[in-house]
Amino acid sequence: MNTSALVRFRPRTLFVLAITSAVSAFGFIWPFLINAKSIPMASMLFWTASAFAVLLVIIEISNESLDAKSIALLGVLTAIVAALRPLGAGAVGIEPMWFVLILSARVFGSSFGFILGLTSILASALLTGGIGPWLGYQLFAAGWIGLFAGWLPKKLRGKPELFLLVLYAIAASIIFGLLMDLQFWPWALGLQTQLSYIPNGDLLTNLHRFIIFHFATSMAWDIPRAIFTSALILLSAPAILGALRRTKFRAAFVTPIEFVESKKVAIERAKELKAL
Amino acid sequence: MITFAAVSLIYPNSTKTVLENLSLTIDEGEFVLVIGPTGSGKSSLLRLINGLVPHHTGGILAGDISVDGISTKSVKPGGLAHLIGIVGQNPINGFVTDTVEEELAFGMESLNIAPDVMRKRVEEILDLMSLAPLRNRSLATLSGGEQQRVAIGSALVMHPKVLVLDEPTSALDPIAAEEVLSILHRLVHDLGITVVVAEHRLERVIQFADRIVHIDGLGNTRVGTPAQIMSDSDIAPPIVHLARALGLEDVGLTVRDMRRMSEEIRGASYSQKIESLQISGENVIELSGVSLSFVNKTVLKDINIEIRAGEVVALMGRNGAGKSSLLKTIVGLHECSTGSVDLLGNNPLTISGTKRRETIGFIPQEPSDLLFGQSVLMECEQADRDNEIDKGATFELLNELVPGISPNTHPRDLSEGQRLALALSVVLSAKPKVLILDEPTRGLDYQAKSHLVSTLLRYARVLGRTVILATHDVELVAELATRVIFLADGDCVADGNTLDVLLSSPAFAPQVAKVMSPQPWLTVKDVISALEEN
Repeated sequence: MNTSALVRFRPRTLFVLAITSAVSAFGFIWPFLINAKSIPMASMLFWTASAFAVLLVIIEISNESLDAKSIALLGVLTAIVAALRPLGAGAVGIEPMWFVLILSARVFGSSFGFILGLTSILASALLTGGIGPWLGYQLFAAGWIGLFAGWLPKKLRGKPELFLLVLYAIAASIIFGLLMDLQFWPWALGLQTQLSYIPNGDLLTNLHRFIIFHFATSMAWDIPRAIFTSALILLSAPAILGALRRTKFRAAFVTPIEFVESKKVAIERAKELKAL
Repeated sequence: MITFAAVSLIYPNSTKTVLENLSLTIDEGEFVLVIGPTGSGKSSLLRLINGLVPHHTGGILAGDISVDGISTKSVKPGGLAHLIGIVGQNPINGFVTDTVEEELAFGMESLNIAPDVMRKRVEEILDLMSLAPLRNRSLATLSGGEQQRVAIGSALVMHPKVLVLDEPTSALDPIAAEEVLSILHRLVHDLGITVVVAEHRLERVIQFADRIVHIDGLGNTRVGTPAQIMSDSDIAPPIVHLARALGLEDVGLTVRDMRRMSEEIRGASYSQKIESLQISGENVIELSGVSLSFVNKTVLKDINIEIRAGEVVALMGRNGAGKSSLLKTIVGLHECSTGSVDLLGNNPLTISGTKRRETIGFIPQEPSDLLFGQSVLMECEQADRDNEIDKGATFELLNELVPGISPNTHPRDLSEGQRLALALSVVLSAKPKVLILDEPTRGLDYQAKSHLVSTLLRYARVLGRTVILATHDVELVAELATRVIFLADGDCVADGNTLDVLLSSPAFAPQVAKVMSPQPWLTVKDVISALEEN
C-alpha cells in the first residue's frame, strides 16, 4: 500500500479532456473552417466546451484521486497565482502569474498543471472582475499552458532546464496572445475594415487578414508578456523550483505504507525498501 | 481507550526505528504527557494515534494501535475524526476560516452535522472555553492563548473522546500557557476526555499529568507515573533538579510539595553573601527619553536606559508591553518619535553594511526569517563571505553550538533549536558588539536551552559583549541575565539586577526561588553553592 498520489488524470478523464479540448480548439479556429454566411454562434459551442471542462474538474476533485494533500497544494498555488495576476494590472500583457503556473506544472505534472490553470484563472477572474465572454477561452488556454508545461522532458536539471523553461515561457506567451486574438477577432472590427473576418471567405484570405490584425494590434502585448515571464523565470526558477520540489518531497506522495507483525520484520522490510 | 500493542515505527527511506516495541494502554479520562528530546519521535507517537502516521506520511508499522476498539490499520485518519481531536503547536497555521464562530463550526460542517445541532454545540463550546466575548472576533486579532483556546474548542465541537495536543503551549507566554493547561485539566476532570500532550516545558504541565511516556532519542520508551519517571529522567523541571541536588528521597512535582520537603534547609540561617555581578564596562547603548508611537497608539513612553558592555539584560513584561518595540528601536528598525538612541556613538538608523553587522546583531522571534539559503552550508558560506572571515568558520561555530547538523539539510527542516543555533552562528560570525534576541527560547527543549545559555554567557563574559533579550522565560533569566528591565504598557516599571527584580515579585520568580523563599536563591546552582559554603 502507498500514500495517495498527486492528482493524475485517469485514462477516462484524459479521454474526456481530449474531446473537450478538441471542441474548444474548434472554438478558437472556427473562422478558418466554417463557411457561414454570417458570424455563427460559435461562442455557444465554446461555452458548452467550457462547461464540460469545469465539470471535468469537479469530477476529478470529487473522486478519490484528489486527496487532502493535492487539494491543499492546489488551493495554495491557486491563491498565489490568482493574487499575483492583478499585481501587473494586465497592462501591455505584464501579468506576473504565468511563471508560477509554468513552474508548478513543471514540478507537479501535467494533470495538476491543467487543473491549476483552470482554477487560478477562475479565481483571478473573480478578483479582477474579469468575467466575460473571454473567460471560457482564457480558462482553456491557461489549462493548456499548465498541461504542456507538465509534459516537458522530466529529467533535465540545472541550466538546460532553465533554458527549456524560458523557451517554453516565450512560446506560451506568444501562443496565448495569438489565441486570445483569435477568439475576438471575428467580432472586434465589424465587417467593413480591411482586416476584418470575412464570413464565407476563403481560408488563405482570412488567415492573411488575421495575421496582419494580430501583428498590428497585439504584438505590443505579447512581446512584453514573453520578456516579462521569461525574465521572472530566469530570476526565480532556481529558488521556486527548489521550494516546490521540497514541498513535493515533504508531502510524501506515493510513499510505501506497510503493516507488519513485529519489529524484526519491520527492520528487514525497511532495509529491502531502502535497497530498491 | 487507546491501546498500543508492541508498536514499532520506521519512516520511509530510513532504517532507524523511531519507536521500538511500545506497549501502552491509556484509559478513558487519563491525562498522559509525552516527553523526550527534540526529534525523538514525540510527534510521531501522537500522530500514530489518529493514523496520520503512516497513512499520510508513509512508513512501516509493526504492532497495532486501536482507539475505542478501532484499529488505525483499517481506517484512514478521516474515519477517526469523530473520535479524536488534534491540536498543533501553532494554532494560526491550522485555522481555515476568519472568525471564532466560523472556525468552531467548520469541522462540524465537514462532518455533515445538522445546522440546529451545530448551533447548539457552538454555544456550548463558547461557554466551555470561555470564548463567548470573542465570538465575532477575527482570529488574527486574538492573542496566542485565545487562539489556542479556539483551536482546542474547534477540536472539541466534534465531541471527540480523545484530544491529542502537540506542544500546545510552546508558542505561548506563561500566562497564556497557564490558561490553556487549566482548560485541559478541566476537560479531563469534568468531561472525562482522554488527553495526550507532548510538551517541552515540564514545569508548566507536570502537575496535571497522570502518567508520562518518556522517549529517549533511540526509540526506547518508558511509561510510568510522574514520580517514577522523574526520579531519574534526564528531562526534568528545575524543582526536580533541585530535589536531586538536595538529595531528597522523593521528588516533589509542585512548589507546594517541595516547600514541605525542604523546610529544614531553607529554615536554617546562612551567611548572606550575595554578590551581584558588577559590570563596569563602558556604555554601549544610551536611550534618553525614547518614546515610540504608531497611529494613535503609544508603545513606549519616555524610556531612559543605559546599558554597559558585558551586561546581559533581560526585558520582561506581558505581551504587548513594548518589549519587541524597544528592541527594534535599539536595532534601528523603528525610528523613535521623541528622544534619541545612541549605539556606540552611532544612530542605529543610519549605520549599514559591514559596520552594522559588526556593531549589532539581531535575532527576531522567528529565526528562520534570517535564513534564506537552500542549505545549512550555503547559509554558512554566505556569512563567511559577508564578514570576510575564513571559509568554514561559521560552520565551525555552528558545530560548537550544536554538533552534528548535516551541512546539506534545508534550514527549514531543522528543529527549532538547530534553526536558532544556525541563525545565532550566522549573526555571531560577525562578532557584533551588541547581540539582541527576541524570545529566543520559544519551542526549545531543555538541552537546546542550556546550549543557548552557555553560548550567550561565554559571549558576554569572555568577550565582554552586550546581550539583550526579550523573554517570558524566568528560568532563563535567572540563569543568564545580570540585569532585568520590566516593562508594562510601554513604561519601564523596574530596572535592577536580576536577583532584586525577580525576588520582589512572587509571580515572576523562578521555581527554585518560589521553593526556597525567603532565601535569595534563583537557581539550583545558587542553592548548592550557598549550602556548600556553610
